Formats: sequence, structure tokens, C-alpha cells
Amino acid sequence: MTNSDHEVPVSGMDPSFWRGMTQPRFSRRQALAATGVGLVSVLAGGIAGPMSPAGASAAVGSPSWWKGQKKHDVLNFANWPYYIDVLAGKHPSLEHFTKTTGTKVSYYEVIQDNASFYQKIRPSLVARQYTGYDIVVMTNNNPQLGYLIELGWLIPLDQSKRPNFDKYAGPLIKNPSWDPSNKFTMAWQSGWTGVGYNSKVIKHPGTSIDLLFDKKYAGRVGMLTDLFELGSAGLLAIGVEPATSTESDWAKAAKKLQLQKSDGIVGAYYDQSYIEHLKNGDIVVSQAYSGDIFQADLNSKYKDLAFLLPDEGAMLWTDNMCIPKYAENPVDAMTAMDYFYNPMTQAVVEYYNDYICPVPAAKLQLLHPTGWDKSALASLKPEIGLPTSVTADSNSVFPDAARVKDSKPYRVFKNQDEINAWTNLFLPIIQGA
Amino acid sequence: MDQPLPPDHPGSVKGQRRFAAFRQGLAPYLLSLPAGLWLLLLFIVPLLIMLSITLKTCNPASGACVMTWSWGEFPRVVSLYHAQFVTSLIFAGAATVIDLVISFPIAYWIAFYGGRKKNFFLIMLLVPFFVSFIIRTLVWEFILSDNGIVLHFLKHNHLVPAGFHVLGTGFAVIAGLAYNYLPFTALPIYVALERIDRQVVNAAYDLYANRRVTFMRVIMPLAVPGIFAAFLLTFIPAFGDYVNQEILGGTSNTMIGTVIQNLFLIDSDYAGGASLSVVLLAISLLGIWLYARLLGSRTIEEYL
Repeated sequence: MTNSDHEVPVSGMDPSFWRGMTQPRFSRRQALAATGVGLVSVLAGGIAGPMSPAGASAAVGSPSWWKGQKKHDVLNFANWPYYIDVLAGKHPSLEHFTKTTGTKVSYYEVIQDNASFYQKIRPSLVARQYTGYDIVVMTNNNPQLGYLIELGWLIPLDQSKRPNFDKYAGPLIKNPSWDPSNKFTMAWQSGWTGVGYNSKVIKHPGTSIDLLFDKKYAGRVGMLTDLFELGSAGLLAIGVEPATSTESDWAKAAKKLQLQKSDGIVGAYYDQSYIEHLKNGDIVVSQAYSGDIFQADLNSKYKDLAFLLPDEGAMLWTDNMCIPKYAENPVDAMTAMDYFYNPMTQAVVEYYNDYICPVPAAKLQLLHPTGWDKSALASLKPEIGLPTSVTADSNSVFPDAARVKDSKPYRVFKNQDEINAWTNLFLPIIQGA
Repeated sequence: MDQPLPPDHPGSVKGQRRFAAFRQGLAPYLLSLPAGLWLLLLFIVPLLIMLSITLKTCNPASGACVMTWSWGEFPRVVSLYHAQFVTSLIFAGAATVIDLVISFPIAYWIAFYGGRKKNFFLIMLLVPFFVSFIIRTLVWEFILSDNGIVLHFLKHNHLVPAGFHVLGTGFAVIAGLAYNYLPFTALPIYVALERIDRQVVNAAYDLYANRRVTFMRVIMPLAVPGIFAAFLLTFIPAFGDYVNQEILGGTSNTMIGTVIQNLFLIDSDYAGGASLSVVLLAISLLGIWLYARLLGSRTIEEYL
């Protein structure tokens, strides 16, 4: 498969569909018959037919299955935007990976939010087909990662092929509650959702999340459309721990957020684009992801942007790499995932990224680079403009235990009914008439 | 021995004639087959699927839907989202009226005074719309942003108060809709005006009608089907539009298109989204039905 296959801008159609459409595998008569059958089953079963998660391929991901897989020297990697080192339009960490392993990486910054990306890959998974991606990155604070695990749509990772992970993965992301013993996932980065603000306009931000509810900045406050971020901010604002909150707490939080909207405090609800609006001054304070603000800070134009970890606590999330089922290049994916746990790689990524590093040993590497990272960090430096020691010494990138303890985990939902209840309370807020 | 053929045998003269008549009778159906199939596969079947989803219960995780014949979706979503329907009606209506007011004089001028350069003027009208819909809307967001080129200038010179903003207001959404759907209004009106027989206009003058009377009693009545077609062609897509509201709108002016999108993409509420889509479609079809009743279905074919 060529790269251009992926760049056909027909959303929702996976490459295998195109391959099927362009290769004459059926006679016309067969095709017509198939269409007839397809129509009948579509009418009978709706858009997604019944599915059996385990299915015929129960052995997928087992040691013997992994043994049978071959390296293809190709990797399709789906990630969120602004999430990897960039130099002159290229990604030094990925370039080095290709140089050492021979695997050519196509890196797609296609994930804007968990829900809609999940909707995009699900039809392929239901149809038992390659989603077009060998690695996808999903957040633990949304239900979709759980869905993927429960429905058997992730390939269990090859435990024997992650020496770097075993050696260097930090305690924050090793054996996490959402994926015991990292059976399906390995963290990409973690981060806080706190408050970003413009320190030129807001001279005295205080230390509370109430800044987001301050009438002084009416119409210039941004909130996130991600319902789990939005709801958690509401809960923190009414003084409730999101993790142990009950449905009646959610209703109170929703009320608080409704008021925030009806009082005209919220300017708009944003996806990843909030950072652009914070930069251009449409809003002066917003719910924000830590790394976004730190990255913007590095640019001299946006030095005024500051990040606040409120007293009420900042939400701590982790983005996780995983291999969707029916991936065509699982060996390359596994190799790449472990490669990102090499402290040298992580030093390069983190110098650009400024999220919470999954590899504590990268700190030393940033201070004293020893291998290929030396030249990579040196060539990134003019772009970033700060010495690597700033990243290494940052309590936001390599947080101490106290800082991690102050962070808040998200509510873990016991069942779908709870997710529905949460959604029904917070979705109306972002779409008022 | 030659047996005489039975009269209805295809080989007989009478049989041949009957077969020819049969073939002739079949011809229109055969000719309409491609269009019919198109309509069946790309309209009727999807519509039936959409209708069937409204009665199903879907699993938000797997996306699998099971038929449960639950009719409760319609009242539920209508009671939840009627306000967004009203917002959409007002916004789309306002945008359509603005478009009619703007594009009628333009179309009139091109049709009656464009001379040999009519086509050139029409192209000039359409050129901006060769650029992608989304990009044009994003550029408006850029232009109208609070510290963008326009508002920054106005605020800097104290022509508007410092807190003044355009983005996020209903006005911005209406303006965006009006801008994006302008060609859908201008073209049908132009076609209607262009095809008015100039002899009829001259006859009115010969009968001592002045310009105003000619315009009101001759040109306008002849342009009405075009205006109505323009109204439908603008109003219906604007009614279901979600791009303008997403990009230019704010927190309290959500249109129904955005709600449907959110139900499908964020909430995985397929039944709810499908029910809203059916209601939206029903309202749009009602508009077309009204048009057919008032102006006859023949004129629809000419303009739509």
C-alpha cells in the first residue's frame, strides 16, 4: 500500500475498501449478487450488524500468534496534533527510527477527539478490516479506550518485545488502573487539564478554578467540548472529587456550568482549537492542556500565556498507544512503541512536547545526551530557544511525587448507564439554543 | 405442411405488432431505469435505513443496533431540541431573506442590463464560490475574530467599545449562512428574469404602464417561481447547516445540524440523531410540497 492511499480525502472509507473497489476480484454478476445480499443484511441489521468480539481469531495477540507475524517495514501511526518533535517539517525521532529499523513511518495527526476518532475507525473494526492505522493513541479519560478493550478490538501486546518499556517506564503509567499490567496499551504522554490564561490581561489569576467562572472575563472564557473534561471542571468548581462523585453531584456541576453559560461567561466551547483562540486573544482564560500552554510559551509571541494548576486540583490524564485489531503491521507497531520508551527518544520528543514524560530516565538524557539524541537535541535547539535543562528541570514534565498526588483522576464509569447519565447532563450544555 | 401460426404467436403479423406495442410501452420505463435505480439506491433505501434506525436501540460502544420498535425517540428528541429547531428556522429564514434582498437587484441588473457580458458577470458572481465552503467560512472567522484585522482597527480607533465582538453571536451565523448560500439564491432568480420575454415588457410600456407598474405587474409575477425556487434552494440547506454555526456561532445559538452531528459523533445516539434527521427532512419536504401546491410541480422541474 502506498501513502497516497491514505491521503484520499474521503473520510470514513478505509484503504482496504478502496483496494476492494479497485481490484477486479469479482465478476460483475457476483458483484451484483453481493450487492443484493448486502442490501438485505443492511436493512435487516441496521448500519452495524451483530458482532462477536472474540470471534474466530481468539489467538490474536498470544505469544504463538506474535511469533507468526512478520515485519513489513511499514507503519501507519495515528496521533493527536502537535504531539511529537518537529524540525523543518520532519520528525527527528521518527527519522531515527526509520534509519535504525528500516521501517518507514507514515505519521498522521488525525485525532481531534476520542469520540469522533472512535466513530471513524469503528466501521472497519466491525467489518473485521484494517483501520488503516497500526498505532492509535486514545485517552484514558473518555470511554472509548475502555470500549476498545472490552470489545476485543485491541491486539494484546507482545510482552517479550518491550525491553525498554520494562526497564524505563515510569510508575505513573506502568500497570495503570485502566489497563492492568499494560496488556493492551503503553502510554504516549500524560498531561494535566487545568486553566490557561493570558497573564497580560489577567494580572491576578488567584489559585482557584473559579478563574473560569469569573464575571470579569465574561464572554472571554473558553471551555472544552470534551464532555469528560467539561464535567470534571464543573465538579472541581463545586468542590467535589470527580473520581468519587455521584450522579447528584453531576447534576449540581451541570447546573453550575449552565449558569456559567447563561451568565454569558463562556465565550465558546472548543475542541483542540482553544489554544489558537487563546493565542489570538478571542479568549483570555480557558480550560487547557498543560503541554499546549508550555509549547506556546516557548514561542516569544505567546510568552504571556500561563498555566494554572488550581488548588482544587488539575485533572491528570494519559494518552495511550495501542494496536487496533486487524492491523497489518503489528510487529513494526510493537517495535515503534518500545522505541519510544528509549530515554534517548523520549528526551527528543519531550524537549519539543512538554507534557508529562512516561520515561523518568529521559531527564538525565536531556541533561547529558549520549548518543544520537545529542545531535537531534542540538538541531532542535534554535527552534525551541531554551536549553534542554529547562525541560529536564521542569516539575511539569518530570513531576515529583507530591505534584502527582495533588492531581485528580477522572471518574471511572461502572457501566454504560453511568456514561449515558453523564452525557445527558453535560451534552445539552455545549449545544444550547 | 405449413400450419398457420396462432394469431398471438410472436412470429405472426399480429403478434409482431403486439410485441412492438409492448416494447413501445416498455420504453419509458427502460429509459427511466437509471434514474429510478439512482433514486431507489441513493434516496429510498437510505431513507428507509434512517427510518428503521429511529426505531432501534443502539449500543454506543459497539455501534450495533437492535430493532426494538421504540417509537419514543421522536417525542424525546423533539422535546429536548425544539429550541434548536426554532433557532435554525429563524437563522435560515433570516439568511434567506437577506440573500433574496441582495441577489434580486444583482440578478435583475445582469438579466436586463448585462448585455453581451452577462456570462462574464455571472462568473464574477460565482468565482468566490470556487473556493471550498469550509475555507471560506474559516477565513471569515479569521477576519471577524476579536483581535482580527477588522475589529482590531475599529477598537483601536474607538469606533466600537472594547468589549464588542461579532464571533459567537447569532448575527455572525446568519451572515455566514447568507454569504455561503448566495449563489443558490441568485441563480434561480437570474434564470427566471432572463427568460421573461422582452416583448411582454415592451407591451406593458405600449399600454402606458410606467416602469414601476411594469415591474410590479409584469416582471414580478413572472419572477415569482424563480424567487420561490431560490427560497427553497437557500432555505433548505441553510436550515440543516452546521458548519457556519460551529465556526462562527457561540454557546447559545446552536442549530439543529450541529445537534445531529453531536448526537452521531459524540453521543453515539444513532436513534436520536436519525429521528432529528427525519423531522428535519419532513420540514424540508413540507416546503417543497407547498411550492408544488402553490406554483405547480412543472415549475419545480425548471428551477430545481
